[in-house]
Amino acid sequence: MPSGALLFQSVILGLLLGGLYALLAAGLTLYFGIMRVVMIAHSAFLILAAYLAWWSHSRLGVDPLLSMVVTVPLFFGCGVLLQRLLLARLRPVTLTMMSVLLTFAIAVVIEGLLGYVFTGTQRRIQLGYGSASFGLFGARIAVVKLIAFGLAAVALAALYLLMKKTTFGWALRATIQHRDAARLVGIETDRVAGYGFGIGLATAAVGGTALALDTTIYPSLHWHWIGPLMAIIVVGGLGSVPGAAMAAMVLGLMQSLLQIPLGTTWAQTIFYLALFATLAFRPQGFFGGRLAQRF
Amino acid sequence: MTTRFRRMQWMTALGATMTLALAACSGDGGGSNTADDPIVIGISLPLTGDFSEPGKGVQRGYEAWAKITNDKGGLLGRKVELKILDDQSNADRVVADYEQLIGSDQVDLVVGPFSTRLVVPAARVAEEYGMLFVEPAGAAKEVFEQGFKNLFYAAPAVANDHYNHLADYLLALPPDQRPKTAAYAAMDDPFAQGTAYGLKEKLAAGGIRTVVDEVYPPNTTDFGSIAAKIAASRADLVVGGSQYQDGVNLIVALQQLQYQPKLAAFSTAPTNPEFAAAIGNKTEGILAPTGYTQKAPYPSNKEFVEKYTAQFGTPPEEDEANAYTTGQVVAAAVTAVGCAEQGACQQKLVDWVRSNTVETVVGPLSWDATGKPKGAHMIQQWVGGEIQIVLPADAKEADLIYPKPAW
Repeated sequence: MPSGALLFQSVILGLLLGGLYALLAAGLTLYFGIMRVVMIAHSAFLILAAYLAWWSHSRLGVDPLLSMVVTVPLFFGCGVLLQRLLLARLRPVTLTMMSVLLTFAIAVVIEGLLGYVFTGTQRRIQLGYGSASFGLFGARIAVVKLIAFGLAAVALAALYLLMKKTTFGWALRATIQHRDAARLVGIETDRVAGYGFGIGLATAAVGGTALALDTTIYPSLHWHWIGPLMAIIVVGGLGSVPGAAMAAMVLGLMQSLLQIPLGTTWAQTIFYLALFATLAFRPQGFFGGRLAQRF
Repeated sequence: MTTRFRRMQWMTALGATMTLALAACSGDGGGSNTADDPIVIGISLPLTGDFSEPGKGVQRGYEAWAKITNDKGGLLGRKVELKILDDQSNADRVVADYEQLIGSDQVDLVVGPFSTRLVVPAARVAEEYGMLFVEPAGAAKEVFEQGFKNLFYAAPAVANDHYNHLADYLLALPPDQRPKTAAYAAMDDPFAQGTAYGLKEKLAAGGIRTVVDEVYPPNTTDFGSIAAKIAASRADLVVGGSQYQDGVNLIVALQQLQYQPKLAAFSTAPTNPEFAAAIGNKTEGILAPTGYTQKAPYPSNKEFVEKYTAQFGTPPEEDEANAYTTGQVVAAAVTAVGCAEQGACQQKLVDWVRSNTVETVVGPLSWDATGKPKGAHMIQQWVGGEIQIVLPADAKEADLIYPKPAW
């Protein structure tokens, strides 16, 4: 039986991990909501952002957090271009299927370029405060993990405010809910979809920076992220940002706790078990989101 | 596509073999053994793919050996020439490569590739052709359970024996000072696990209780939960069966949780030149087994470090040294037996290596019947920002500090 202290420590680690999952899944579910696109390359952009953060730290000597000044606008721009130039050209009938192929290709291209430029060697940002931590009721919280969580929380809150409080957010949500109706009331859905895609990719820039603070990165790492993230957005209800965030926190916490009895290898399976359970019993997801019913 | 490519390869191989056969027939018979012909040594290395980093290290080691040997006049008065193929870290390719090297290219000698996964299939080919097979990597115990008769591992010890000196040291401590509990975390990899489990077996038999025994997949990047388990167990000693980056990650995660063991031993990672910077210089007291250090006092090692540094600009690491050692073992056998070609000569070389001790850059090496070296690794410890040999007693630069200072 694990001790109380270990359980408490694992809960904290799980919540910190869940926060990061939440941010990353939010972007992924946004793409699906906007245009029924399955964006396999999301986690490849995530790793790309992590590499840019690592590179700016180790080669230019700036704090990795500052790299976001460049990567966030850059990724936003990439997202808009990606949607307008590539994804918008896919035929609506086969959009979901073909988007898998297209974004798969993008993911492989990014992975290949990363391997070419930075080699396959595993990298880690070497921060002076990398092993610093502080105590909380007997558990330890690492500073870098807390910064990563903070980044995720701020980005998610900003996304939430953007979606709920701004005219653009309303237009974006209208586009997600019913594209034709949105166009009828005068929303330029194509442009809104492009910007929405840019925002989704911008979350990958923030997430990648957060990821780079405390883990190792290597070019093929994105394959280990896309599976859990896909599972999260299905469990959370496809297209639902709050649903993805909730599912991410719950699954991150469960993964962390399951590592105590099961070990690292088997704890990863929680994502896929949750995915199976969702598809079998509640295909529309557990935390809202109505899009999946359309399948 | 693949089949056509394969067929083309086979056709090429067949064509090459026939050309060679014809050339041999039309020539003057044993023309391959004259004094001005070079001794061609066939090698397949993972120069691209998963093992490309260590693969290139091994390549540099072989090249350094060939250059140093040739500068001294070669072997048996003949120049040494390396023929290196890239197997792309792929076990199928490695088999095809060695078949090509031995069968169609008619190399005089072969030496091994990098990593257990590639050494085993490569050794099988060498065994089929009756070639001597000295290899620089492939320390996992599987290698020696295949019944190979021509294989020799050119390093001081296999993975499971790396920590032997440390196990002896800990079990020789007076009972009241001896650690009581131990936590182990090992990568799911035969080599990394072998190091940790070798020590675990010996310590468990000596009465040191195992309180945590974790295995993690090679792609693990977040060590928070594993570290939480180890920290919660308050084990006296922590042993990491690590490669490089996972070891760094685990140590940082343990430090984040302010876990202070009496002894911390990690394989591979702490001997890496970038290690101290990677964990923010909090290295105090960390132990690591090491098969090679530039400071090792063996005579040929001085020459190796000097000439290697002149050739490549940086001093050699373990991969380079293991390849160089492989070259030294083969050279010793060829010089003693007085031949280097395919055929009956190979068995004489095998017999010689089996029954002799070879002086190398990693010390004197000798082998048991399975080709397993009969030594143990030196143990190094980080003391005052520097890594120094602490065990065994006859090679030590400093005393082992136990319990270790806080990191």
